[in-house]
Amino acid sequence: MTTRTAARSLSATLSGSSSTATTTTTPPSGGSLVEVNKALDGWEQKLKDAGVRDTEFNLKCIVSHVLQRKFNTVPDDFTQLKFNSEQLADFERFCEARCARMPLQHIIGEWDFMDITLKTAPTVFIPRPETEEFVRLVIENYKDVKHVDMLEVGCGSGAMSLSMLHALPQVDATAIERSKAATALAWENAKLLGLQQRFKVHNHTMEKDKYMPEELKDKQYDLIISNPPYVKTDEFQYLHPEVVVYENLNALDGGSDGLRVARLVFELACRHLRPGGKLWLELGNEHPPLVKTIMHLKYQGRLTFVDSYFDQYKRERFVQLQKV
Amino acid sequence: MFIRKLLNVRSHYHLRRWVSTDPLSFQNKKLQSYLESLRLEYYALRVSAAGNNSEYARLSRLDGVVNALEQHRALQRNITSEQDMAVEKDEDMRALMQEENNVYTDLLQKQEDALLKELLTLSDDELYPALIFEVNAGAGGQEAMLFAYELYNMYTSFFDHMGWQYDEFAHETTDIGGLRHANLIVHDSEAYQWLRYEAGVHRVQRVPATEKAGRIHTSTASITVIPRPADVHVHIAERDLKIETKRASGAGGQHVNTTDSAVRIVHLPTGLAVEAQSERSQLKNRELAIKRLHAKLMQQQLESAEASTQATRKAQQGNLNRNEKIRTYNFVQDRVTDHRVQKGGTQHNLSGFLDGGQQLSGLIERLQLENRRAKLVELLETWQPPKEAADMN
Repeated sequence: MTTRTAARSLSATLSGSSSTATTTTTPPSGGSLVEVNKALDGWEQKLKDAGVRDTEFNLKCIVSHVLQRKFNTVPDDFTQLKFNSEQLADFERFCEARCARMPLQHIIGEWDFMDITLKTAPTVFIPRPETEEFVRLVIENYKDVKHVDMLEVGCGSGAMSLSMLHALPQVDATAIERSKAATALAWENAKLLGLQQRFKVHNHTMEKDKYMPEELKDKQYDLIISNPPYVKTDEFQYLHPEVVVYENLNALDGGSDGLRVARLVFELACRHLRPGGKLWLELGNEHPPLVKTIMHLKYQGRLTFVDSYFDQYKRERFVQLQKV
Repeated sequence: MFIRKLLNVRSHYHLRRWVSTDPLSFQNKKLQSYLESLRLEYYALRVSAAGNNSEYARLSRLDGVVNALEQHRALQRNITSEQDMAVEKDEDMRALMQEENNVYTDLLQKQEDALLKELLTLSDDELYPALIFEVNAGAGGQEAMLFAYELYNMYTSFFDHMGWQYDEFAHETTDIGGLRHANLIVHDSEAYQWLRYEAGVHRVQRVPATEKAGRIHTSTASITVIPRPADVHVHIAERDLKIETKRASGAGGQHVNTTDSAVRIVHLPTGLAVEAQSERSQLKNRELAIKRLHAKLMQQQLESAEASTQATRKAQQGNLNRNEKIRTYNFVQDRVTDHRVQKGGTQHNLSGFLDGGQQLSGLIERLQLENRRAKLVELLETWQPPKEAADMN
């Protein structure tokens, strides 16, 4: 947190001083230009020493962000690219933050998820690459369905719902989210993507016997998707600093077996899925067999286990359940 | 003969056109006997074509022409001859006959146009199920590459406009948004009859975005069209792929926050490996890598021995037109001029043209028509009536 506030106040002073010198956003004519390749000097090693992996990619993301260019238009070798003095200061500030293990996605303030770009916010969970695979699977299953009323439990930045809406015009999505910041961010992302017509998000914490907000208590859906917190409590000691220090642990903590929140979602699905409706979940490694057992033992006549799927790392992580 | 009698009848109504020396005028004798020979060939094939594929193909190609010809003849029979008119005593009746003849003459005229169109289509070469379409930046550095990219966009829009399926198997861009070259394969048997006219050098005249002094530059890009006799299809099965990312092992999902978006894919049956890292989204990189793999596999197939001999032969024929400047895109005057069209080869609204829609297809249709006419004229010049037909006359 200290790095972040320091960085922010630094940027405030920087932009304050530069606005008196030049009023336009074009590079100041008097400012000396520094070649990007020169500015990079030494940073790769510093990042490595700080324990950051994949340093080339990190640096390229930061450079594109500083230059305000799309990532995929910046050449890998940075030839002919230059920073003005302001950009150079930004660049160094961001690299410092990255050395302090601030997540790259927070530093640059946005991230790409499937075909959309989402804003990120410091306390909101950053979508993971495997979740793209999960959403791809769900889209594949619903692309030919005429109309889908979808509910997402715990939408975070809105990544899953919004990329579904982006890919499939026949989907209407409602989301519930316990964090106020995430609720606001998901709504902002929906507006930025022009998807607010088909998207609603409610700030609500799912609890036993109060699974849905009051206004949605009688609603039923064709599809419920969720990537609930599934990290086991005793696994927290092994997490990366980016995750433990900077991410909202509420979005991760799945209790002793990692299924505390998932169990609530099962109950919610029993009440709010139409008969034949599906529940798709992204969970941790050991969870799908466990879910299968839980379905057999506790949900006979209510939910059935349809299938489980592997992520791109060949880990069994995704499950599909059906309302009887 | 029946035909001659009909021709006599017609000559009264089209005396001026009868004199015409246009080889494609319907009254041209050679054209008439050529048509008759096609008709005879058609009916002969209908009797004998059983089970023979190439004969069936010919039969279906002749179908349009012969049908149009039969309709034309049916219309002709409706026209009352001069003699019959002279015999008719009743004034009103004669006026009626005259009126009727006028109507039929109009219809006949329309039918002739339709027939000619069918005949022109017939003069097209053999059909190809697919073709390779290449865009290459030519002289003019970055500006030429920018122009190549605009042409690429124009043609891919055109493919969409025509509803053709296509795959891209090579694509090299530049930093400032230009295109060095792109190779596509278009899967449509109609495509060759359209795109063949686009092969050659395309020239652009404008003040490039990269030019500071405001001078007008001339740059070029070339289009190559190579017909493919056999369809090329690549199927990639998910189970044949080994997908690798930077993160080799360890927990995934919520446990870590990795940014490993770079992807490497190995195609197990062939051992081909492709990588992609130009996007921040891993899934996008994976899609990109699969596209590249698809392209590589396609190229491999294209280069297989049998295919390459065919392709080279055709490429060399295509080369004849290679250095010929076929069209100029002048942004300063907002016009596009096709140098092969004699009259009215210039049209305005360049940006509309670059959309690759109606304007482009309209121009190609004109080129098609001119080319087909020229071919048909050539064919008629060298054509000799078959012996049997001559005997019958």
